[in-house]
Amino acid sequence: MAALDPVFAVAYAATVASVALVFLALALFARRGSVSLSPGRLVGLTKDEASRLGTGDAVFLMHLSIALGVGLSISYSLLDPALGLVPLLRTVILVVSLPLALGLVASFAWRVERFVSSKRVEKALGSPASFTTSSSYLQLILILAIALTTTELVLLWFPSLALAGAAVGVLRNVLVAAYYARPSVNLIGYFDKPLHEVRVPFNLADVMAGKTDPDSIRSGVSKASEFDAAERLSFDSCVEIGACEAACPATAAGRPLSPRVLVRKVSLLAGSGGPAVDPFASVGEDELWSCTSCGACVASCPVSVKHLDIVYDLRRGLVAQGRLDKKKSMMLENLAQTQNPYGFKNSTRAAWAEGLGVDTLAANPKAEYLYWVGCLSSFDQRAQRIAKALSTILKRAGVSFAILGGEEGCVGDPARRLGEEGRYQELALQNIEKLNAYGVKKIIATCPHCFNALKNEYPGFGGKYEVVYHTQLISDLIRQGRIKVPPEKVQSISVTLHDACYASRYNSVFDEPREALAASVADLREMHRKKEKTFCCGAGGSNYWYEVPQQKSISGIRTAEAAKTGAKTIATECPFCLSMLDDSTKVMDAAMDVRDVAEIVAECL
Amino acid sequence: MKAVWVYSESDAVSNEVASAAVDVAKGAGAEVQVLELGAQRPGVFASGGKLLLKGPPSSPTPGAAAEAIARAARELQPIAILTGATRTGREVASRLAAKLRIGCIAEVSKLGADGESIFGERNVFAGKAVARVSCPFPAAATVKVGAYPRLAGGNGGLQEKDVGAVSDPVKVVAREAKSAGAVDLKSAKVIVSAGRGVKKKEDLAILEELAKEMHGALGCSRPLSADLGWLPEEHHIGLTGVTVKPELYLAVGISGQLQHVAGMKDSKVVASINTDKDAPIFQASDYGVVGDLYQVVPAIRKALAARA
Amino acid sequence: MKVAVCVKHAVDETELKLDQGGRPVLGGAAGKMSTFDKNAVEEALRLKSKHQGEVAVFMVGTADSKKTMKEALAMGADRGVLVSADPAAIDTFRTAEVLAAAIRRSGPYDVVICSEGSSDTYSGQVPPMLGELLGVPYVGYARKIEVSGQSAKIERSLEDSVETVESPLPLAVSVVSEINEPRYPTLIQIMQAGKKPIEELAADAVAPAGGYRQVSVPSMSSQPSTRKHVMIEGTPEEAAAKLVDALVKEGVLK
Repeated sequence: MAALDPVFAVAYAATVASVALVFLALALFARRGSVSLSPGRLVGLTKDEASRLGTGDAVFLMHLSIALGVGLSISYSLLDPALGLVPLLRTVILVVSLPLALGLVASFAWRVERFVSSKRVEKALGSPASFTTSSSYLQLILILAIALTTTELVLLWFPSLALAGAAVGVLRNVLVAAYYARPSVNLIGYFDKPLHEVRVPFNLADVMAGKTDPDSIRSGVSKASEFDAAERLSFDSCVEIGACEAACPATAAGRPLSPRVLVRKVSLLAGSGGPAVDPFASVGEDELWSCTSCGACVASCPVSVKHLDIVYDLRRGLVAQGRLDKKKSMMLENLAQTQNPYGFKNSTRAAWAEGLGVDTLAANPKAEYLYWVGCLSSFDQRAQRIAKALSTILKRAGVSFAILGGEEGCVGDPARRLGEEGRYQELALQNIEKLNAYGVKKIIATCPHCFNALKNEYPGFGGKYEVVYHTQLISDLIRQGRIKVPPEKVQSISVTLHDACYASRYNSVFDEPREALAASVADLREMHRKKEKTFCCGAGGSNYWYEVPQQKSISGIRTAEAAKTGAKTIATECPFCLSMLDDSTKVMDAAMDVRDVAEIVAECL
Repeated sequence: MKAVWVYSESDAVSNEVASAAVDVAKGAGAEVQVLELGAQRPGVFASGGKLLLKGPPSSPTPGAAAEAIARAARELQPIAILTGATRTGREVASRLAAKLRIGCIAEVSKLGADGESIFGERNVFAGKAVARVSCPFPAAATVKVGAYPRLAGGNGGLQEKDVGAVSDPVKVVAREAKSAGAVDLKSAKVIVSAGRGVKKKEDLAILEELAKEMHGALGCSRPLSADLGWLPEEHHIGLTGVTVKPELYLAVGISGQLQHVAGMKDSKVVASINTDKDAPIFQASDYGVVGDLYQVVPAIRKALAARA
Repeated sequence: MKVAVCVKHAVDETELKLDQGGRPVLGGAAGKMSTFDKNAVEEALRLKSKHQGEVAVFMVGTADSKKTMKEALAMGADRGVLVSADPAAIDTFRTAEVLAAAIRRSGPYDVVICSEGSSDTYSGQVPPMLGELLGVPYVGYARKIEVSGQSAKIERSLEDSVETVESPLPLAVSVVSEINEPRYPTLIQIMQAGKKPIEELAADAVAPAGGYRQVSVPSMSSQPSTRKHVMIEGTPEEAAAKLVDALVKEGVLK
């Protein structure tokens, strides 16, 4: 570009102004959302994104193409006057633009596909025309922004069309400032918030100690104005990308929930309806109960929208208003009365261990590990076999362990996911008091919901332990040679592993169960959705305790995926997954059996 | 002569309570008198005599029945008044007790008496314990339904007593029979429940027949209603369905996941049939048969038919 | 409209412990709000939300039963009256007598609601006795209550029929569980309810005891609650016959 040409000077000034607008918008949203745009955050984000390159996730690669494409074209247009001086830099930019343009074209195609399927989802949900229009508008803006950026990258190759390129760039920058600055701020602010982190509205211990007046507590949201700044930034950052919707098991099962629609509805409501508006006027109860808290939405969102925060806060609002059906309230009452969600006599928890020589901590307080059995493996006759199998393995390896027996109470996860935070914290505090009284240091869990709570949540309430998942410990024991699977005992079966959301996606435990299985079976196969990309069994988020309307079952979808591998055994690592998938294989008359990793390993010893 | 009175709104229950009254009268050295209100009831029998109270309508509200009986009792001083532990019977006995300021033992079977008091046995704490209860004469009692044989005949002398007109501020404006076809798993005494061991929807018919022959209702596990849609949702017993506690729960082809067991664990007696000897349902059962339901169920029907 | 609702802190049978002689240990046994009483409280709250007014909770119990009182208040009741007496040591008539006196003392109420019976002992006697002792019309086993003006239209659920009755107010009524789905009070709401007024009275001060002879419970024994796990062997025909025999012997099959 000839620097002295007045037309180009005007174009360049417009470019600079539009870029400044982007930065201004970023600063504005960062201030409003109390998000720091410090270099440290940006470096952190860059590292995080770089670390995800290896996963080869298509949605992420497309997101990266868009972000880098925009960045590259902005850099190019700003550096334009200097590029004549450094021709090599121009060449480098042109070469780099090639893969990005390809990614952008792929994104464009994916966007069109998402657009069509999002309209199908909205139709199934019965979304009102006003919503559909607003949704289409945002999606078309996104498609336009991608098209403009692609065009701009292509135009870089044609210096004669530089003016057209600048015009396209300015328009795109204005769109970015108007629509994508806020999501960028959200991403910078919250990219590293762990999936397992649940917002805590109050601290029960403080209420019990008289430090907090119970009347001052508001748990959850019953009015749109009650969402706080971080939540507002989160849902207002949704630009209808739809990755969440594509990943959501509830949407796939035809339940009345799409995480995209939910977040956008809440955003529109909070934006237009005024502070007093009732969120439940547009968000349905079954919509909220449809969520299994599997976290696929949050994990897949390229701009770090935290759908689950919104689900939990609205569920808490429903619970506070007493809007629970009998199944849900009965589960909570059981937790309050019997410390397990099924209403079983809690003192019979250790019945499964009878005759196995498993000590209680009361009898053997010096045991190295506490085995936290969990309610399902304590009371479900089928899941008890997991507890028995793990006991066999631990005994064989000479690991010193004990259980709490009747002193164990539900970890509280079902109450927390349902939105009854008080009951959750009560159970947590009761458990922590017992664990601390015994001086417990190390805990093994066979239920990923117990594992997640003990490992990630209990420290916040004064319970700090070294918590390992049984698949981690089993693979360690194999690696250390403390248990050995003799070659003749390796099972000649074909197995596919179903990763549990709360182990894999929430806690990055996915290599260990594979190592344990690799040592025990001859033929280990993988489903398409695996590891942190696993697909829910349908029981999480307290869904085990109630039903919501659906077209097909989530567990059925997953079981079909497992069947497609041709494996004859589904290996699970969670008693809930086991229960759900076992039922599904029976419904589908599939000739597959479902067993926990611990059971499979124990059979080989 | 000391008298033990019997009253029930239902002829059948009245004849059961009369059997219980015989035991009480024997212990106390008294005679049984069966009450008839307003008009004589040919289907009601008595081992001793009958007492017709004139004044109340022939099918009185519980309030009117209690008032009429109380008036007669104040004058004739029976040592005990027994009703059936039905919804009406409980109300009549309780109101009588309050009007006469006497104690009332509830839901009793194995009744008896000595010279001083009436006694009996009853279940408490959801059947987890049996309490022996006793009350000095005069007393009222509600007798557990189904615990005594029905008197099949015998009418002693008829005594009449005019107690005057009684009225109840509570007026009945309509009465409708509950539909017999409706599934009422919650109140069913026997439940036959189907699981995935049933191969196809049409095969549920034999279980439905079995349930009928056992005077029970048909239930199912979650997959049959929620996933396969073979039975409507109200048949689904379990954590996400209805919770039941029948006298007899017969699980047919049900594996016995907690999802299901949580909904039937408080049943009095559980029997199960399953092809898999390791099926968890056997751990939750009193009686288990390892076998093919397609052979065992017809055999049970045959065994039932042979008894009848 | 003023509504009185009666609740009981019942023994929680799930965790019932037995002594060495196999008798249930009632002292210190875990308690809970009697299951159906939640329906009674819920119905009282529904009447209040429709007709305005207040809901007062009445209970006969010991100090540890305050937990249940707070739960009822957390559901939305306005105030509580706790008459101190051990429900296990007094019979149904005495319970009704004390409740009636307490209700009369703080009344009058337009509607007095009880559940059909308590989940631990289930005699079903207190509600009708209460109606008698209060001298008001009584309707048992309601599955639907509609109040308009000074009268109520009520559907009663009987064994094999549904009866619709009309009664003037004030009245006493017992409800069955199908009448509603009780709301669940959250733990925080229960803690918040601790600030609502609870009046505590001594039973003898409310209604002097005496004048009649109580029902007594001379002895109690437990029933085995574990499953028998009897596996029946044989051909299908043999197994079926043995199973039917066993079930008839258990008294669960006729």
